[in-house]
Order: sequence, then C-alpha cells, then structure tokens
Amino acid sequence: MQENYLAKWLNNELPEEEVAQFKESKEYASYKKLRDVTDRLTAPEFDMDKAWNNLNNRKSLQESKVIKLNPFKKYLSIAAAVVLVFTASYFYYANLNEKVYTQYAERAEVVLPDASEIQLNAGSKISYSKKKWDSKRDVALDGEAFFKVAKGKRFTVTTDNGTVTVLGTQFNVENRKDYFEVACYEGLVSVQHNNEEIKLPAGNALIVVKGEMRTMEIPKNGEPSWLSNESSFKSIPLKFVLDEFKRQFNMEISTQNIDTDQLFTGSFSNTDRDLALKSISAPSQIKFKLEGKTVLFYAEAP
Amino acid sequence: MKKIKKEGLKATNEEHVCKDEVYASIFSNYSKTVFNYIYYKFGNEEKAYDVVQEAFIKLWENCSKVSPEKAKSYVYTIANNLYLNVIKAEKVRLKYAPESNPVVNESPDFLMEEQEYKDKLERALQALPENQRTTFLLNRIDGKKYAEIADMEGVSVKAIEKRMHLALKSLREQIEGI
Repeated sequence: MQENYLAKWLNNELPEEEVAQFKESKEYASYKKLRDVTDRLTAPEFDMDKAWNNLNNRKSLQESKVIKLNPFKKYLSIAAAVVLVFTASYFYYANLNEKVYTQYAERAEVVLPDASEIQLNAGSKISYSKKKWDSKRDVALDGEAFFKVAKGKRFTVTTDNGTVTVLGTQFNVENRKDYFEVACYEGLVSVQHNNEEIKLPAGNALIVVKGEMRTMEIPKNGEPSWLSNESSFKSIPLKFVLDEFKRQFNMEISTQNIDTDQLFTGSFSNTDRDLALKSISAPSQIKFKLEGKTVLFYAEAP
Repeated sequence: MKKIKKEGLKATNEEHVCKDEVYASIFSNYSKTVFNYIYYKFGNEEKAYDVVQEAFIKLWENCSKVSPEKAKSYVYTIANNLYLNVIKAEKVRLKYAPESNPVVNESPDFLMEEQEYKDKLERALQALPENQRTTFLLNRIDGKKYAEIADMEGVSVKAIEKRMHLALKSLREQIEGI
C-alpha cells in the first residue's frame, strides 16, 4: 500500500485496486466504523450573533480611543456625552434595579414591597424598581409568572408582546418567543396587545400564538397548573410544548420527521421526566430516544 | 444563476475589507471555522470566542492593507499565532448528530456498546497530539479539504496527509486497545 493510504482512502483518492486490497485486510472493518462514527461528530455550537456583537462593541471602543487623541475641545464634548449616557443609564437602571432570574429546571418566589407575590416559572426573568415601588407598581417580564397582586394602585406587567394592567387580582402571564398568554383567575385584568385593549374577567385566558389571538375559559379562583408541577396545553402547537419541556428539565431537544405545528392538548409532569416524555409522545404518536442531555423526538417512517 | 454568482464575486473582489458589508461577509463566512479550529486545539470555548474577536479586530485594524482574497488566510494566521504555547489544552468535547436513519428498538446491549465506543473515541481523540487532532477534526467535522488545512497550518498537503494517516492509525489502536 502507498504512503498515507488511510488519508487517501478517507478522501476517496485511493486507486480501486488498493481499495480492494484494503477491504481484504482485517483492520478495514474498524477503520470503516471509525469513519462512519466520526461522520456524525459535531463541534460545540458557535453563537455567531454574540461574537459579532462583541466584536462591534470592541470596535467602537477602539474608535473612541482614537478620538481621545484629538484636540481638547472635542475631547470635552465626548466626555460630556459619556457622562450623559452614564447618567441616563444610571437613572434607567435605578428604575429597574431589582432583577430575578430562573435558569432551566428552576423556579423562584418573589415577594414585592407591597406583599404582592410572584411565582416565576423556569427560564424566566423579572425586573422592577424597589425604590420607586410606592409610586409605580411596574414589573418587566420575560418568560412566565403567576401574580397575586395586593389591592392598591395600578399594577402593570410589561412584556415585549404587550402590557397587562390590574388593580388587585390573581393572574398568570406567559411571554415567550411567538407566544403570549394571559390567564385571569380573580378580579379583572386589562391586556394591551398590538394597540388593542382587551378586558379579561376572572375565568378567562387570552392566547396569542404567532400573532393569532383566541380566548378560552379556565376555572375561576384556580391556579395555573405549573404551580402544582404540571404543564398543561389546550390546542397548542407541539413546538411550544417541546420548548416548555426543555425549560422544565433543562434538556436539549431535536426532532426528526415530525410536524411541530401539529396541535397538542394534554399535560405533562414537571417532576417526572420519563412520565413527561410519555405524556408528550403518546398522544402525538411520535417516538423519543434519550441520549445524555438530548432527547430526540422522531416519527417512524410509514 | 451562474452568471449572477460570478458577477457578485467580481464585485466583492474589487471592494475593500474596510467596507462594512465586505467585512461582515468575511466574518459570517470564516468566524465559525476560526472558532472550531481553536476549539479543537485547546478544548476551551471561551478562548475560542476570544480568538475570533482578536483575529477579526486585527483584520479591521489592517483592513486597508489586506485584500478580500487574502482575508481568510489572514484571520487563520492571526488565530494560529495568538495562543501558541500560551494556554494548556483542555478536554475537547464533541457531540453527535442524530443518525439519518435511526434504528428503532435497538437492543440495550447495542446502545451500550455504541456509547462505550463513543467514550473510547473521545479519550482517543484527547490523547492525539494537538496538530493531528486539529487536522483530523477540521476534515471530519468542518469538511475542510487537505489543501485548505495545509494552508491554515502553514504546512504542505503531504504533511496533512501524514497527520490524517497517523491520526486514524492511533485512534484505531487506542480504541481497540492494541
């Protein structure tokens, strides 16, 4: 065999006779296995957007360094601008200074200055100002949370999908990518979504999936099911169900041959992973396979 | 279709790396390779992100001196020189794409054997000399041709073939415990 024949073989450059000869050898099977398995190797995920943003921050920092060498007057105006930005951001952050995050597979309970309570579901984030709480009851939410609001002044939950305003009540807000849900359990809430105001009395929920809005009835004086460790869905695209699974169990998900837009009605346990997997796969008639921290959902070929 | 592509290419060749669009397209074409390249060497994602940033900052600072055709080997060279001999290699962790035709109802024995094989492969990759591992993974994961890897590493194609050959040989020996 020629020099470096393994490299040539891997690159399909080995002449036919030599390939035949190589296939006869006892090592061939193990090299073929090695080739097949390494064919499926993948590198860690590269977050190109993050790298690009960091690079641009660095670039603008370096450009401002260059400006510093210019005449003093110009330097002064830049300094003034910098002070202004810092002051503005100080006031901005002073208004939103308290932050609470939950990681995947984590929950948190927050008690606000007026004894209102917030339960934070997995993979969520809230921020509010402790200092100005008395004059402004405003919470920014990214993710899902259940609110028990003490009676008092206007209470506002701000999300990038819309704003929810109440006086004193119990309600749940879920704000995820392409998904916005507000469920009112007690009292009355007002939801501002796409410049439209919707009044939601107790026992009603509003769901916006990919821009499509619908309302449905829910039990009055109840609680969202996730507080009793269960995630429930009523005619929700499977995609969002899988996302919630990912958040509850901190697992990676991949899918193969399945339609993640198909609607799912049912619930899964947030504490028993194997049971949850069965609750998701059985009604949707799909299969799953566990591999370390990844679950593959797939459909059998017809 | 072909014609449009050709014209597009010509247009970029005449343009300058200092132009935002040209710079951005160089970044989107090569940043992932730089990231993977450094990761295979040192097994540290954070350092790999740092190197991407350093390499592209250098390209930006010298954008008027580097032609778009040379930009690729420029960032590879910078990346290559940055952490040379400075950081200690850590464990390179890789994942597997799911099989295109998954076999349903695989026996537990089979699955366990597969897992054992993957574990052995991981250890064997770890045990390879850095230059063999980097070469091998750039070819297997990123599908880089031997000539391109030779360019990145600043050695001949023959040397890359040697590394591939030796890498395959020692991986097999290590996995089978020879």
